[in-house]
Amino acid sequence: MAKLRLEKIKPLVALAAFLLFWWILPASVKSFTRLSFAEFHAPAWLVTTKIDQLSDFWAARNHSKIDLLEAGRDLARTNARYHVIAQRYQTLEEEIERLENLLDLPPQQAFHHEVARVIRRDLNAWWQHLLIRKGRDYQIPVGAAVIFSGGVVGRVVEVYAYTSRVELVTSPRFRMAASFEGDSRPVVYQGRIQSGFASPRGEVSDVPQDLLTTSRSPLSLVSTHLGGTFPAGLKIGTVPWLAPGSTGIFQTGAVELDDRLHELKEVTVLIPLLATEVSSHVD
Amino acid sequence: MLIDSRAFIFLGANILFFYLAQLANSSLASLGIYLLLLGPMPVMPALYLKPPSAFICILLSGLWIDAACPVPFGFFTALFLLAGTLTGLLRHRLRAEQSYHPFILTQFFNIGVILALTLTKGAGSYFVLDLWIQTALVILSSSLALLLITAWFFRFQRMLIAFFRLDPEPEGLPIR
Repeated sequence: MAKLRLEKIKPLVALAAFLLFWWILPASVKSFTRLSFAEFHAPAWLVTTKIDQLSDFWAARNHSKIDLLEAGRDLARTNARYHVIAQRYQTLEEEIERLENLLDLPPQQAFHHEVARVIRRDLNAWWQHLLIRKGRDYQIPVGAAVIFSGGVVGRVVEVYAYTSRVELVTSPRFRMAASFEGDSRPVVYQGRIQSGFASPRGEVSDVPQDLLTTSRSPLSLVSTHLGGTFPAGLKIGTVPWLAPGSTGIFQTGAVELDDRLHELKEVTVLIPLLATEVSSHVD
Repeated sequence: MLIDSRAFIFLGANILFFYLAQLANSSLASLGIYLLLLGPMPVMPALYLKPPSAFICILLSGLWIDAACPVPFGFFTALFLLAGTLTGLLRHRLRAEQSYHPFILTQFFNIGVILALTLTKGAGSYFVLDLWIQTALVILSSSLALLLITAWFFRFQRMLIAFFRLDPEPEGLPIR
């Protein structure tokens, strides 16, 4: 009878022994195992995006020549406009550099822009992550800022050989320094648990009392250079209302983020350049 | 053979299933729907295989999923092994072939994994209503999806076993 009872609890004892063994296993071993398994995932996702690209290519081939000619014409116009903007940008950069030298200011953080395709979106109540198709092969560092045409996307949290994981600006664990457009005082932006089918939202805190906003003309929240991760002036979202915070000294409010955050196809990773690289870098 | 060949079939099927679930989630992201479909993975290995082979299969499946998710490494592995152990303890009373037992276990384990994930990753936000609304939505959508998918997944695993001419019966049971 005793033997029978022992037989019954044997699997539970084995499970407990394994969990104990796992618990005392050195972190380096776990980290190595995790990394090894994670690298095995990459090829499947790379193949998936290549197939996506191929299907896009064949879909594009089905367009008529008239469509392609019109698209080419539109692109030529856009290119011409961007060419003018690039020249203006170059002039402003030179002006900034001249003023920095004149006033003996430290140079602003410069970035190399690396465009990467989104290969997977992993958005839920527990985490809000994207997987992008560039990793150590493109010198993507952990902590790099990720942006798109609508503003801030998030931050790189894990880098693998050919892929990187990006924590979205909507994630409850995402936090960054920000400021309101036209006001240099820093505030704190933080992601929050998303409410399902609604538009993406975040939270802003430590807002000075004198700032007022309305849903008709909401204040625009932008990034600051504080922290060094993001360049200043990138749009985070809009703040339609503010309410007194728990301390009574500052205000807090909700931040309405860009709806396109949940359907991104391409993002840009900002790789910080070292001072020595800035002068030689051609973007 | 030290490890039952069917363990590799179950492992491969689990990896494929997880990959397809992630593809679906990536496509559904803009709709605000998320499917966590992990319940079926430890069921068949625990019902069909002897403990050592089932352990290897479930362990590797768990590590594979842990590496893909931002959770403490070993989280899903521990949950899978717990589910496998509980199933293993009950396998004399359960029928693996053509019965509703694996389906019930699948739903039970899946809801357990979702709740465990909420309790672990939502620490500090237990009083945030959105967390529980989202958890309820994930449970609802995942359970509905599993109702449709589980039968296909188990049949696919049995088909692979038949295709590779392996033993289609569970191993180690007193009556076969």
